[in-house]
Amino acid sequence: MLLLIQYTLIFASVLILVALGGCYSEHSGVINLGLEGIMVMGALGGALAMRYLPVSLPGFIFILLVLFFAILVGVVYSSLLAVASINFKADQTIVGTALNMLGTAAATVIVKAINTAANPNDVSSIIQYIEPKKKFIMYFGSFEFNWFMFITLVILFGAWFVLYKTKFGLRLMACGEHPQAAASVGINVFKMRWSGVLISGGLGGLGGICYILAGVSEWRFEYGVAGFGFLALAVMIFGQWKPTRIALAALMFGFFRALSNTYMGFGFLAALNLPSTIYNMLPYIISLIVLALTSKNSKAPKAEGIPYDQGMR
Amino acid sequence: MSKEKTNYLKKPGVQSFVSSVICIILGLLIAFIVLLLINPAGAFASIMEVIKNFLHFKNPTLRLRFFGETLVKTVPLLMCALAVLFSYKVGLFNIGTPGQYCAGICAAIYAALKWQWGWLPCVLLAMLAGAALASIVGVLKAYLNVNEVISGIMLNWIVLYFTNATLTAVKNPASKDTLTIASVNKAGLLPTMGLDNLFKDKYVTIAIPIAILIAVAIMIILDKTKFGYELKATGINKDAAKYCGMMEKTNIIVTLVISGALAGLGAAFYYLTDFEQWAVTQSTVPAMGFNGIAATFLGGLNPIGTIFSSYFITHITAGGAFVDLTKYSSQITDLISALIIYLCGFVLFMKTTMNNMIKKSEAKRHVKQANVNDEGGDK
Amino acid sequence: MDTPYAIEMLNITKKFPGIIANDNITLQLKRGEIHALLGENGAGKSTLMSVLFGLYQPEEGVIKKDGKEVKINDPNDANDLGIGMVHQHFKLVECFTVLDNIILGVEPNNHGVLQKEEARKKVLALSEKYGLMVDPDAKIEDITVGMQQRTEILKMLYRDNEILIFDEPTAVLTPQEIDELMQIMRNLKAEGKSILFISHKLAEIMAVADRCTILRKGKYIGTVETAKTTAQELSSLMVGRNVNFHIEKKPQKLGDVVLEVEGMTVASKAHSNNAVKNVSLKVRKGEIVCIAGIDGNGQTEFVHGITGLEPLVSGTIKLNGMDISKAPIRKRNTSGMSHIPEDRHKHGLVLDYSLENNLVLQTYFEPEFTSKSGFLKKDNIRSYSERLIKEFDVRSGQGPVTPARAMSGGNQQKAIIAREIDKDPDLLVAVQPTRGLDVGAIEFVHKQLIDRRDSGKAVLLVSLELDEVMDVPDRILVMYEGEIVGEFDPKKTTQEELGLYMAGAKRMEVKA
Repeated sequence: MLLLIQYTLIFASVLILVALGGCYSEHSGVINLGLEGIMVMGALGGALAMRYLPVSLPGFIFILLVLFFAILVGVVYSSLLAVASINFKADQTIVGTALNMLGTAAATVIVKAINTAANPNDVSSIIQYIEPKKKFIMYFGSFEFNWFMFITLVILFGAWFVLYKTKFGLRLMACGEHPQAAASVGINVFKMRWSGVLISGGLGGLGGICYILAGVSEWRFEYGVAGFGFLALAVMIFGQWKPTRIALAALMFGFFRALSNTYMGFGFLAALNLPSTIYNMLPYIISLIVLALTSKNSKAPKAEGIPYDQGMR
Repeated sequence: MSKEKTNYLKKPGVQSFVSSVICIILGLLIAFIVLLLINPAGAFASIMEVIKNFLHFKNPTLRLRFFGETLVKTVPLLMCALAVLFSYKVGLFNIGTPGQYCAGICAAIYAALKWQWGWLPCVLLAMLAGAALASIVGVLKAYLNVNEVISGIMLNWIVLYFTNATLTAVKNPASKDTLTIASVNKAGLLPTMGLDNLFKDKYVTIAIPIAILIAVAIMIILDKTKFGYELKATGINKDAAKYCGMMEKTNIIVTLVISGALAGLGAAFYYLTDFEQWAVTQSTVPAMGFNGIAATFLGGLNPIGTIFSSYFITHITAGGAFVDLTKYSSQITDLISALIIYLCGFVLFMKTTMNNMIKKSEAKRHVKQANVNDEGGDK
Repeated sequence: MDTPYAIEMLNITKKFPGIIANDNITLQLKRGEIHALLGENGAGKSTLMSVLFGLYQPEEGVIKKDGKEVKINDPNDANDLGIGMVHQHFKLVECFTVLDNIILGVEPNNHGVLQKEEARKKVLALSEKYGLMVDPDAKIEDITVGMQQRTEILKMLYRDNEILIFDEPTAVLTPQEIDELMQIMRNLKAEGKSILFISHKLAEIMAVADRCTILRKGKYIGTVETAKTTAQELSSLMVGRNVNFHIEKKPQKLGDVVLEVEGMTVASKAHSNNAVKNVSLKVRKGEIVCIAGIDGNGQTEFVHGITGLEPLVSGTIKLNGMDISKAPIRKRNTSGMSHIPEDRHKHGLVLDYSLENNLVLQTYFEPEFTSKSGFLKKDNIRSYSERLIKEFDVRSGQGPVTPARAMSGGNQQKAIIAREIDKDPDLLVAVQPTRGLDVGAIEFVHKQLIDRRDSGKAVLLVSLELDEVMDVPDRILVMYEGEIVGEFDPKKTTQEELGLYMAGAKRMEVKA
């Protein structure tokens, strides 16, 4: 039971981080379908940091540096989406999809190159981080508390505050709802949209490193992040682009995802003797159902996905 | 008046072609730079291997054989690309194509191995499986406004797990792959009609000419028929389509069904040649569907263009096998495809730039002509 | 400050590929005056204003503020110079509150954290001072169009703008609201603000403006004092010829009922309540019936209900006696109904299709254009479209193959009208058919509507333009909050009387 809660919380943390990333981007008016790829790149940044940073560093500094690199790579990578969709008015769906493919391909190529350089016989795309991972974990009895749970809570509150209580949030949302109105009062729509996308890149990167640290101690980069970027988008839609509701939605999704890791521990579930495939499918099936129920009256930002053109008024 | 010089750059087809070539060159260039960064020693040789593919061999028979195999692998990519293209024409981005392709694999292999069906019913079942899966996306989109990209991705994962579980029943006990069809049910293999002898390769089947015919047929449907007129109108302006009484919801579903069927067909056209078996431990949906997106946009959203772009992408992907694996990974070609899709996002910008250049040069010419005429008038 | 002018735009020229949008235009706004800018659609008014706001840079000409030359590169520069504008299409974020919209861009903040209290006080004070009566905490999507306009005015006042520009501000208001707006404008003038009033409505200009600058086809025609001119003179300056406002109609010959609507209720997409409530009406052959009302009182939903774009909640619709309440759109379109839609870009045209493909949008499936095997008969489409283009004088760059997107608004509208009228419908539903057109095109459209009537067919016109409402129809029905609240004979009523009904101040029992 404790294990279920633990997994629920950590997966929910991933989903909250990434969904909030999507939330910033969409509130600025850019649909970020590339979150999956951004997660992979962020995970790569963090994993490489864990590999190369001396383990002897104090835990706090170590964690901060790992997070910093994950965020940095995510931000840099998301600028590919920003420049294409904001400055060149590219189709956001195509570019997002390209980022997803590019993320996995690039991460694989890079990791393999690193592995092969270190050992010519090693052509795998695996990075190990058994020791570094321990720094992220604290034990309360048998409960594995992951610092990411705390970080997520802080970011969640931060997102609520930024969006609803600050000048930046007001301007950001104006750009996603009615960019012409924002421009008419002198707001630089391009700048705000860039901010939205870059923040989403940072949060996506953070979500990525959190994801690969959640269950295992090594990561094979060919695998990508198993559709978590898209699950996060489903969470965002179900959460109606509002931080608090996103958190609740993420907990629900996290729970179903956690079930597939832990169902054997529950007598009655194990007794049902359902094939494990069912549990693997569960989060995706749930998200389809949830989308079917909530998409009809969605409160998506009105101008999302539409490139902003100064000439059009 | 002097004759207006016809500006070939003005033609949309030429513009698409030029844009695609730019995308390819930039994609290869960036990949080359990545190789240089990893290891400068073999970068040029490796990128040349990617471009050469079967020309790697000196022996003409081997060249022919590997050319044939490149074609074999082009077929499923072409079908996936057509699937993406067809749905894109009604304004839908069918990113569920990999899942529909996967469903086709599941149906074709299972029917051929477990039920020992002949090849034709296997093909039809694969089409049906792809179509059924795509129809879910269509219904969700048309009636419940579910974003087709997200629902498509979710279904991809669901189908992947389903396929792995289902095909475990027909697995080769000695490996993680499914059994070969030749070893169980020869009637399940696609007929070759002598094409295998032509290419000296047993995997070359009727799938290749049929796939090309299908591309042509889709071109005709889109350009010449009432159905195509409706689909494109729905894709460009859903509201106008509704206003003039087109059944825009039905059109969305029908299009996705056809799109899914094409992806399923592509799966059957590939896996019923025995060229490849399904590994039941696959952790991602086949990349074929995603590369289909690359081929669609690289082909300028034109079915005939798609034939060439699919071939090109398969060509470089196959070429990836010849890179120096002690220095680089073969995923470098995935990187190129992804880069090409990304660059295709800029096609609109490229075309606008071309049009602006044309406009400017024309404006200049008009000014010049006007001056000439004025002078003529003075005399 | 030795010049009387607050802002001057001198010899402005702005070119776009193919056209000169502003050709040597001069506009001088005195301090404390109301100055009208008059011109038809396409005369270059919006381009000139975009230049003033720094959205476009002119090729030639200078802008002076208080006699000093200034450079305006973006709306921020304009704002810094104290220039504010109420746009024709409001620049308001619908899901924000009035207050949030007002402070957007000039948010009072403490290290980035919003401080709204102070702003609220200022807004309330301004609202009081000018009699605007706006609730700062209401959401934009919940308040009336008139209130939204006042929010826009408050936006300018909150920024202490001295030069206020009103772009076609009366298009969305009732006659009474227009009077109130005029009063607000006079109050603003009394406080020393300088006002530029963009309009093509002569009566309003005569009523409120001190001077008037006229543009025609991108050229500067002149500036006149309204006290020394007449509406007639202004109109001929605007159009470039004497306009015959009188519309010729044959004596009416009423025939059978074509459209019979009974108890129709249609749901609203924007709100939870019903947009059209229990409406009944009849339209007969040989008459033009006009639905008048302020925008957003259920006219759109009413038309969508009749044409099938929205399902009915309840009620019946009969076309030539046949019940079409649940009939699909295609069935209605082929049973004698034509529809000139409100939004020609959203519904009326497939902009990326060629003109010829747009001209067969309602008929492409007929045997004339589609063979039994499902192939399009492209030759027939070509010859048919060539005929329509000629008959309706649809002008375009490359004839039938011109992309609809590349055509002017007036010609796009002509193409739609050609397509809908050539079907020879028993009932023509025309929604704001003259919106955004110039006088010549308006005359053309009105003539087509009257021709339908005179040839014994029925027309259901939906209009927001009061001049059109008074001139074109045989019968006026006023719609207010989704109900028919008055029926009038245009010969026996006045704009003021209609206005009272349109605003919901009066209502009568109307029987279908």
